[in-house]
Amino acid sequence: MTGEDDKDFEQYQALDLKIAKALQIDVPELRMPELPSVDTANVSALPARKRSMKPLWFAVAATVVLATSISLRTSGLFQSYDSLPDEILAHLDHEPYALRVTDVAVSDERLARAVPASLAVYDRGDALITYAQPCVINGKDVPHLVIQGEHGPVTILLMPSERVAETTPFDGDSVKGVILPFGKGSIAIIGDREELLEPIQKNVLNSVTWTT
Amino acid sequence: MNSSSAEGKRRQRFDSLVGVFHQDMYRFAAWLSRDKAVAEDVVQEALLRAWKSLDSLRDDAAAKHWLLTIVRRENARYFERRRLETVDIDNLTASQAALLAETPNGELDDLREAIFGLDDDYREPLVLQVLMGYSTNEIAEMMGLKQGAVLTRLHRARHKLKDSVEDA
Repeated sequence: MTGEDDKDFEQYQALDLKIAKALQIDVPELRMPELPSVDTANVSALPARKRSMKPLWFAVAATVVLATSISLRTSGLFQSYDSLPDEILAHLDHEPYALRVTDVAVSDERLARAVPASLAVYDRGDALITYAQPCVINGKDVPHLVIQGEHGPVTILLMPSERVAETTPFDGDSVKGVILPFGKGSIAIIGDREELLEPIQKNVLNSVTWTT
Repeated sequence: MNSSSAEGKRRQRFDSLVGVFHQDMYRFAAWLSRDKAVAEDVVQEALLRAWKSLDSLRDDAAAKHWLLTIVRRENARYFERRRLETVDIDNLTASQAALLAETPNGELDDLREAIFGLDDDYREPLVLQVLMGYSTNEIAEMMGLKQGAVLTRLHRARHKLKDSVEDA
């Protein structure tokens, strides 16, 4: 670093210090609004339907949830997946750090950990994958990937065990998504409202092979 | 757990989070809206919305980001409802002027006025970075921008402020 760089950096720091002071306005005393009573028996991160009947959801061991889910599904009670988009959106909210904008791609090793060979093979091709994490959605193992789209990060959820009857578009706050039936499972793709998902869908479908 | 006990714990959790982040919520709202009275309204709405959706916050470590995102949305809703366009810095309301009248201090006053006069697109990332401590990645995520766009806006914001301070 040259002396000139040092001077620029010091000026930058000094300006930021002043900006921070200028922004530190006085804050009035907290005035809590009247908070409505919330039916805690019906509170859930995932709105509506069956989950609302399970107030102990957060306390139930994952294995029990999985067993319940499998049991209910095999019983034929859940032919449709109308709440799956809600669960997907809630999952995205839970992992906001996944949606950072970066040009740093995850390593092949990390991708392999997120997409185990026992579930699927994902041919990364020239896609810039910036996040890869093994997750659980609806009690099932779901590789969670993020690529960089034209309008920001795009989430891809590989759901080898989540069968859907048809393509299901959905919307969230500032995002839109689609769940695509794919083989005996499905793939969810979620991006910015402005993002063109169709070309991404095509690439993703060409990149995935289920191995389950 | 019975429902009153559950609600009590829920309220305790909410109070604890709000106690920690209320100042950030207010300051963020104030610099977004450039109006102290509006900021109070926005924070009230944000608190209500946060209370109703508290159970969607699964990790309290993410509470600051969650609450500020709610403030950001409520601020947008507020201005959408009222269709307020721009703030005329030469014709401020009392609560707008109050924001500039904080702790009078020569150079700081000029700088505060310069920040006040920045376009929303420049002021918001600056507040998020300098006051809230967010990285450019996080700001880009929050504002739905590419990181490069955030870096550009921050650079321009500082440049404008530097010019304002030097001219004053």
